[in-house]
Amino acid sequence: MTAGGVPYGSESSAVKLKQKWHGPLANLVEDLCKVNKMRTTPACVLLITGALLALSSSSSVAASASASASSDQQYVYSSREPIPIAKAPEAFHEELVLKPMNDGSVYSHFQFTTHIGTMMDEDRFDGASSNLFAHYNLFPRSIGQILHSFEVEELHLTFTQGRWQYGDWGYPLAPSAGTGVELWAWLSDDKRQTDANWKALTNTLSGLFCASLNFIDKTITVEPKMSFRNEGPYNVHAASPDNRDNSTAPPRKLRYGSLPHENVCTENLTPWIKLLPCKSKAGIASLLKSHKLFDSRFYSMAIHVRPVCEDELCRVRSLELVQTITTVFDVARHDGSFDWSISGLFERDIEHACPLATTSKVILQLPHMLEPYQYDFNPKPPQGTYFEGTEDNKVEIAVYDLIQSTKESSPFQLAMTWRDAKNRAIRQSRPGIVAHRYFTGYGQERGGLSIEIHNNNWEQIDILYMDTLPWYLKLYLHTFNLQLHGEPFEDKHGEIVKKMLYQPAVDRARPAVLEMAVTMPPKSLIKFSISFDKVFLKYTEHPPDANRGFDVGCAVITANLPRHRGQIGRGGLDHLRVYQDRESSLVKNKRLVESESSGQGDQDEDLAMDQIRVYTETLLVSLPTPDFSMPYNVITLTCTVIALFFGSMFNLMTRNFEVVVPPADKKAKGKEVKK
Amino acid sequence: MAPSSNKSGSLVFGAALALRLALFEFPTLANMLGNQVEISTPVTSFKRLSEGVFLFRNGVPPYDGGVFHQAPLLLGLFYPIISSPLLVKLLYTLSDLAIGYMLLQITALKDKALKESKIREYGNKLEAPGVTGLTVATLYLFNPYTIVSCIGRSTILFSNMAVVAGIWMGMKGDRGLAMFSIAVAGYLSLYPVMLAIPVMIMLTDSIQDAEAKKRTILRCSAFFLASLSSIFLLSFVLTNSWDFVRSVYGTILAVSDLTPNLGLFWYFFIEMFDQFRSFFLIVFQIHVFIFAVPISIKLRKYPLFICFLLSTVMGTFKGYPSVDMRYSFLIVNLFLYSSFLAPIFWYLWVYVGSGNANFFYAIGLVYGIGEIILMIDTTFALLRRDFEATSPPDAADGSGWDREVLQK
Repeated sequence: MTAGGVPYGSESSAVKLKQKWHGPLANLVEDLCKVNKMRTTPACVLLITGALLALSSSSSVAASASASASSDQQYVYSSREPIPIAKAPEAFHEELVLKPMNDGSVYSHFQFTTHIGTMMDEDRFDGASSNLFAHYNLFPRSIGQILHSFEVEELHLTFTQGRWQYGDWGYPLAPSAGTGVELWAWLSDDKRQTDANWKALTNTLSGLFCASLNFIDKTITVEPKMSFRNEGPYNVHAASPDNRDNSTAPPRKLRYGSLPHENVCTENLTPWIKLLPCKSKAGIASLLKSHKLFDSRFYSMAIHVRPVCEDELCRVRSLELVQTITTVFDVARHDGSFDWSISGLFERDIEHACPLATTSKVILQLPHMLEPYQYDFNPKPPQGTYFEGTEDNKVEIAVYDLIQSTKESSPFQLAMTWRDAKNRAIRQSRPGIVAHRYFTGYGQERGGLSIEIHNNNWEQIDILYMDTLPWYLKLYLHTFNLQLHGEPFEDKHGEIVKKMLYQPAVDRARPAVLEMAVTMPPKSLIKFSISFDKVFLKYTEHPPDANRGFDVGCAVITANLPRHRGQIGRGGLDHLRVYQDRESSLVKNKRLVESESSGQGDQDEDLAMDQIRVYTETLLVSLPTPDFSMPYNVITLTCTVIALFFGSMFNLMTRNFEVVVPPADKKAKGKEVKK
Repeated sequence: MAPSSNKSGSLVFGAALALRLALFEFPTLANMLGNQVEISTPVTSFKRLSEGVFLFRNGVPPYDGGVFHQAPLLLGLFYPIISSPLLVKLLYTLSDLAIGYMLLQITALKDKALKESKIREYGNKLEAPGVTGLTVATLYLFNPYTIVSCIGRSTILFSNMAVVAGIWMGMKGDRGLAMFSIAVAGYLSLYPVMLAIPVMIMLTDSIQDAEAKKRTILRCSAFFLASLSSIFLLSFVLTNSWDFVRSVYGTILAVSDLTPNLGLFWYFFIEMFDQFRSFFLIVFQIHVFIFAVPISIKLRKYPLFICFLLSTVMGTFKGYPSVDMRYSFLIVNLFLYSSFLAPIFWYLWVYVGSGNANFFYAIGLVYGIGEIILMIDTTFALLRRDFEATSPPDAADGSGWDREVLQK
């Protein structure tokens, strides 16, 4: 009943059991101990263990096999005051977005969303101290326990391999795409335990996902001041000016860390799949086959946990867990053909939707062609394709409801073929903001860092730039300079760099953080550069492959891009927005209905902004290495020199000259002799 | 005599001024020298000073970071002038000339004192006159090490100036200024604190009465501590936090920045096993300070020589030495060897990659040995001279100047 392993269709009983059962259970055991006069501790322990075992076994087994256990629970609940339980939504949604790219790659985005509801009568929801995690139904217990024990309010963990090609692919649906591992979390700061909790969090996640997350220590962790704000409408509410003064809101602290050199592989995917209610046994997740997923140009998987609102006024709040996997398959690698099918990409088919899923959909974004009838896809969706977005950003979408389609026994299949393999007139995507970062200079003593940011929009865009540089690069902020369109630009009045926050690095203690609020003029190229010295590390601080160098994580640019502009990745952001607006489904059914009558909604859309994050390249810096075979030699030689001085000086200081009375046979030769 | 020496003096100083200003006209040279590890160390680099001033000016606490480890008063000194390269140039040049002038004065004072003591010790027998003040000043001002250090804008210059001023004032007998200067020097780079002892010896040398001597020493120490604490308070007012204490002196003592230099510490602590690191750190730092007392006792008659010896000890064994050694005369071969090979080996290691860290370390060792031999030889010579002076050869026991002497 509790272990997160609740199989199918037990939602009603789960809702009933939403209350704190820890308390009553303990009472019950205590009572039983008293009643049976079992004063010896082992017996009590035995009983508790037994009760726990019974509870933690899955409900289908428990319901049929242990009638006594269920009667116990009846007793527990009847012994308490009836508490009104609000109808808390609990749902699981699965989506797969497929999108052919301009270069023939196929982009696939898996998104699994799990909600766990909270009580309506609760004053505040802080993710940790609420009684939310007294019971697990669809929500994975391991994540729930982590959130609960370390007082985590919001958690974002992304594993990425490969680099997202913004120029060719537009923007990904997943919000994070920096190479390596990125972890950021909002933690409660009630007891000033933030750093201890963060450390415990990284270590626990490290164990859970078989990754080196425990290496995110104080020398890597930063606290961004402008980037990485809370997500979701609930948090937007919390951050609004009305609620900001609200003293009841618990203080929260942000922690951010990334490991650019972390490799992602099967051992990270397996625990990730285990968090899903249907694992990879049914539904869209059955396509997750590791040897196909990792054979791709880009792979990224993430979990995002955040509190969200269920209604307009935010009366009902819930906790949302979004798991995403994003891959870019290189379809044209073998024979140059752009044709693909689901079974070809994943070597599997979707037999049927996950029975626990409220919605289960496959969404195909059709390529935006300059000429019609160049491709074909099969099957066609029963209700036909429809267009989403406005003007340049319009995109044609085919939606397949797996719950409907897989009822008809046959597994779901989808394939796309191109009429003319040579002549494909796909419209290029032109992302609004693109950034590149690279090192300048040569040698291992010092270097420079340059960041180029392009604004391809016709309007002025405000961006936030955040760069975390490890302490072994000593930045010289006074060498910071700014170029606009390749010309040096004196930013005397803060026309471009509106605000700059800089945290200098401390050796072996914390990284340098540079955060800037920048206003990009329309159609502009801005280049920042800054120089640094490379630090000489102790020989134990070098990694085993010292001459490979150290990875420097990506810089992150957060930008608000106007939604009505078409250059934002061909409709990709629409989905991103939907994700951010806290809608369970990537494409809402309502939209489907309203798509024909484009009325008020599009007016709003013109003004709306989409927040995206652009990740730059990770960099490799080589630091000067000592001779690793030399410690003994160096120690002996240095000590010899010092001893030479000390000995001679000691000699001179403690002894006095004295005249030697020369022996008769040996006349003095005017030479000093030291004894 | 006097007008001609004045003339040649102004010639020397004029030439030194012109040379420095001329060299400053090549900004690439200044930058190149300023980036050279032999000249600017983590605690004296002008680049880091600029960064500190920049952070300070923009409201980022400069000591809350790993780049800037120099004293807050330098921050205050450079805060108004750093944006004007001309003023910075002038400040460095004039400070360097001031050191030269003070050295000249010190030599003159020493000569005077020496003459008196010679008369006292040897009767009327005159030794060959020592080097004149002008020669010393010339040697200093045209010492290539001094010049590159000045052009490289190493802030050790200010510490040196305070030290030299302290010694000068000590010899002149100006208690207040002497103690204050030494306090400033100690404040700027910690190690010169040791020089308080020889300077105090200088100040009390002429006092015969033991009571009066004791009182003077007490007064001097009190004044020293008072000036030190007032400088610290001033720094606190300037930066509004005590962070600088940890950042400036912590870095000097803990040698946490292991950028190579000509010292012996950096490679030692790069290669040291973690568990022994703190042990050796303590031993090595004690080793620097431990000589102050025995040397001062043994050589109490020669306070100036103590100053020299202690400065060289500091120069050799401190965490971040650079080539600007106050009194180092060339042990010609060793120093030339290390001066030429050091940049070459550095380039080989860090840029070309065909050498490795050992090359540069070896040069550091050679340099260290050179200085050690220099120190030991001069000390030995001084002691021997002292011995000869105190017990001159006596016709009575039949020994001449060529007698055999033992050190016991």
